[in-house]
Amino acid sequence: MTTNTRPVAQRIRVRPRNKANLIIQATLIGLLLLTLYHLATFDSRGISPIEGIAKTLESFRTLFFEPRLKNVSLGEMLYALSITVAMGLLTTIFGAVIAFFLALGAARNLAPRWLNNLITGGTAFIRAVPTVLWVLFFAVAAGLGSVAAVVGMTFHSVGYLIKAYAESFEELDAGVLEALRASGASWWQTIFQAVVPTSASALLSWTFVRFEINFSTAIAMGAVAGAGGIGFDMFMASTFYLDLRELGAFTYAVLIFAIALEWFATRLKGGLGARV
Amino acid sequence: MALLEVESLVKRYGTETLALDQVSFTMEAGEFAAIIGRSGAGKSTLLRCINRLIDISSGELRFDGVSVPGLRGTALRRHRTQIGMIFQHYNLVNRLSVIENVLHGRLGYKGLVQGVLGIYSEEEKREAVRIIESLGLGEQIYKRCDQLSGGQKQRVGIARALIQQPKLLLCDEPIASLDPNAAKIIMDTLREINREMGITVLVNLHQVDVALRYAERIIGVKGGTIVYDGAPDRLSSEQIHQIYGSEAGDLILDLSEQQYAV
Repeated sequence: MTTNTRPVAQRIRVRPRNKANLIIQATLIGLLLLTLYHLATFDSRGISPIEGIAKTLESFRTLFFEPRLKNVSLGEMLYALSITVAMGLLTTIFGAVIAFFLALGAARNLAPRWLNNLITGGTAFIRAVPTVLWVLFFAVAAGLGSVAAVVGMTFHSVGYLIKAYAESFEELDAGVLEALRASGASWWQTIFQAVVPTSASALLSWTFVRFEINFSTAIAMGAVAGAGGIGFDMFMASTFYLDLRELGAFTYAVLIFAIALEWFATRLKGGLGARV
Repeated sequence: MALLEVESLVKRYGTETLALDQVSFTMEAGEFAAIIGRSGAGKSTLLRCINRLIDISSGELRFDGVSVPGLRGTALRRHRTQIGMIFQHYNLVNRLSVIENVLHGRLGYKGLVQGVLGIYSEEEKREAVRIIESLGLGEQIYKRCDQLSGGQKQRVGIARALIQQPKLLLCDEPIASLDPNAAKIIMDTLREINREMGITVLVNLHQVDVALRYAERIIGVKGGTIVYDGAPDRLSSEQIHQIYGSEAGDLILDLSEQQYAV
């Protein structure tokens, strides 16, 4: 007891008082103050919050429990959905093929350092610009529509997939590459006999993730960039006809397709993993 | 004519690190030699200079009458097909089957398209099956390599090297990751390959006792230079300690070394 020199009154801090912790605390307090200020000055146009929340829930109920089609037939809706799916698929395939070859140059274990830096630098720039801006950029040349949407979405897909693919390639054991080189195999042979079989499952999984992203982007592009498909019909149903019930039908169509895609991707990956 | 002639071989990493310094030795066809030395002595670098996985800084290296340091492109690939190599970590493509991995040994003989698509002739496949069965892996032929034990993986590695029909087999710490039982099977296999097929074997080893038991010739490497080159029975305990730079009695191997050296 006599060796305890700490005053009894002083409490022991568990979390050290350093710069990082102080900054986190300051940020959280700042956000809290901003939220309070915003709530206090919110322009609610005379609608009480309770009433607002009730109305929103009511809209959700209409959207999800009373879906029906009015201005478009079931066939037309499925056709529009297929256009959107096709847009997502096309941009993913274009993106995957281009990205595969560029990713070989971006992987540190497969290509010289200067090529790595060139490609990763370029893709970082492409990824930093949002997909919508790329679509609008290409719309200048191709006009607003499906062509600009496909080119713009492909562009962003390439940037995304190069990074994902290159990181999958880099996980390959350097010894395997060395062993094939030692037996006299050429670079391309090594790629297709060792790199691709090893990373196939990862490549497939990244490609499906990107397909999901491209599918949802294609919906947005249908409305924003006039690229057609189910996105354009949803845009019309919501802002032109103000028809929540029809919008609900479209939402279900998209949801069902997304779930089917997920199920298919899981099946395919399982099949690849169990190969041989 | 000697199969392998190395003359004043120098390998420098960057400007300062000297990995190999004026290394010279020759190997006749059919020899079984072991390189011993502590980690970082330059053993692995020496092996990789022979099949040019590592570029040579200066000096001359002739294999089967061909000067190796200047080889490029197709000529370099042809040179490598004549030299099989096996590794400590086996370096197999784990997701592929045993026979696919073994057939990789034929890639050096293939054109671009055939190699990329993995098209092999019936003759090559028959030879692969024959080698796999002769190494006792007949039942694992379609198994994925990540389902094999360490000893089995190393035998797949040996099969991949043998299907190249090599003149020389380089082995980089082939038994360092194996249990004693599997290690004995691998070393016996290497000796059999050397005696029955007449393939020259050059093996890097950490285990001095194993080197003394199997090799007909010991090459001791220290600090990038050869400090001993001769028969295993003439290697004295003092020389081993000199190679490993340790005081007498500091090595685990002392006892077993006595058993085999005498």
